[in-house]
Amino acid sequence: MHNYDEFISLMGNKILSKIEKQKRLYFEVGNENIIEVADYLFNKLGCRLSTATATETYQGIEVLYHFSHDKTGDYYCPRVVMKDKNNPKMNSITPIVRGAEWIEREMSEMLGITFEGHPRPEPLLTGNHPQNIKVPLRKWRSNG
Amino acid sequence: MDKNVIPVGPYHPLLEEAEYFTLVVDGETVVDIDLEIGWMHRGHEFISESKTFTQSIYLVERICGICSTSHPIACVHAIEDVDNIEIPLRARYIRTLIGELERIHSHLLWLGLAGHFIGYDTLWMWAWKYREPVLQMFEIISGNRNHYGMMRVGGVAKDVDPEKVKSLLDIMDEIEKKIEMIAKAATDDPVLKSRLKGVGVLTKKDAIDFCAVGPTARASGVPIDVRKDEPNDAYDLVDFKIIVTENGDVFDKTVVRLLETFESIKICKQCLEKLKTVNGGIINNVKEISPGEGIGRYEAPRGEVFHYVRTDGTNRPVRHKVRAPSYVNIPTFKASCKGIPVADALITLAAVDPCYCCTERSLKIRDKNNEPYQLDLLKLSREKTEQLRRQMK
Repeated sequence: MHNYDEFISLMGNKILSKIEKQKRLYFEVGNENIIEVADYLFNKLGCRLSTATATETYQGIEVLYHFSHDKTGDYYCPRVVMKDKNNPKMNSITPIVRGAEWIEREMSEMLGITFEGHPRPEPLLTGNHPQNIKVPLRKWRSNG
Repeated sequence: MDKNVIPVGPYHPLLEEAEYFTLVVDGETVVDIDLEIGWMHRGHEFISESKTFTQSIYLVERICGICSTSHPIACVHAIEDVDNIEIPLRARYIRTLIGELERIHSHLLWLGLAGHFIGYDTLWMWAWKYREPVLQMFEIISGNRNHYGMMRVGGVAKDVDPEKVKSLLDIMDEIEKKIEMIAKAATDDPVLKSRLKGVGVLTKKDAIDFCAVGPTARASGVPIDVRKDEPNDAYDLVDFKIIVTENGDVFDKTVVRLLETFESIKICKQCLEKLKTVNGGIINNVKEISPGEGIGRYEAPRGEVFHYVRTDGTNRPVRHKVRAPSYVNIPTFKASCKGIPVADALITLAAVDPCYCCTERSLKIRDKNNEPYQLDLLKLSREKTEQLRRQMK
């Protein structure tokens, strides 16, 4: 099992909460810190972005990035929670991790999240859909 | 400077999702490429939230027809990751055997298509001919040639009949000889070498930047393979090596896939030998899944398949995220296609193993006299090979 202690102590109070399991570290960070965390994981630690998952929960809309540390087989999963469901906004990590371009576009159209600083904020999957589809993965349809 | 736009797509019957490429060309050179996807978006993630875990496995098996067992394996890994569920040893070998057989048939399928695209129809017919025995092995093991329905949370659904292991090993020996013949014919051919070497190069930096996976990344010198990085099932119990090359061109991607096929044969043989002696159950009884989240992944023939499952203690996932390898490999075209001739675009796009029948489509662009004329990418690609062949005679 990989020791996440060094990473956790380095991030300090940027980590708001965490769940540590065998080879998995899920942790919550504020929107203001996600770029710094992604930069550290991608450029310093040499992680690869597998993908990201956006979910609507009772608390808000959350985005969970999955960074794979291939040398050890560990996952670092920073989570950003946006409490305002009507206008969820967060910083894009695409300028740091180019591989995040498609998944951020997908999350944006599926759950209505605005990724600020994204170089190409267009729909990825529903752009050519014959119907006007909006936020299809929202469960409670709080955004129409 | 006038630039022409060549639309390619959007319908590709070979893949799980159709793609639409826009090639911007200046004369014969591709100067930019844009991609659009979404025509085949079927809402699997949303549907999965209304299915039980076992039903979800069947659902994700139908995402892709070629690597149809990679998604179920990654899905069961994700569900098992929530509670760190162990599976019986015999089931570990069976999972690995099924996964590797799939890699063999998928790589042979790709090799055949690649041969067809560049005018080597003999290679295409050989590769697909010797892919058949692999599908027969699937039929012997699972009853199906595709969509095997083998994966379950806690193990596998069907056991491998010990009496059939010997005949399976015989088929494996036979396939190995044939693939050796194909590999030698393909890699020793001077025309093929000059046709594919230096074409569609994806640099190591671009592969890392785009987060590419599988043979696409390994051919560019990025040594990542889920089977070694996070060995699950029986991958820590069998002997094999991951194939990494440095050039990142189409030739290297071909070499990686060919050599990987031999590694897969090696793994399959080891698993079959073990299935002669390893006894015991094939599935652990999993009664419930705790609330939590789990990540499962598997090295599919095209690269890492990723599944994320969030559970709430019921028998259904609250959220089920699926990411296929093509999703991260296809954007690498932005780097590998720039500056190449149009005749090489086809094989470069095919080299990451996406779906590819749109290439048969005819398209219209305008020539120097501003007259519309028909351009067939497949014809162009095959003509270039023929030209090389004539020069080398």
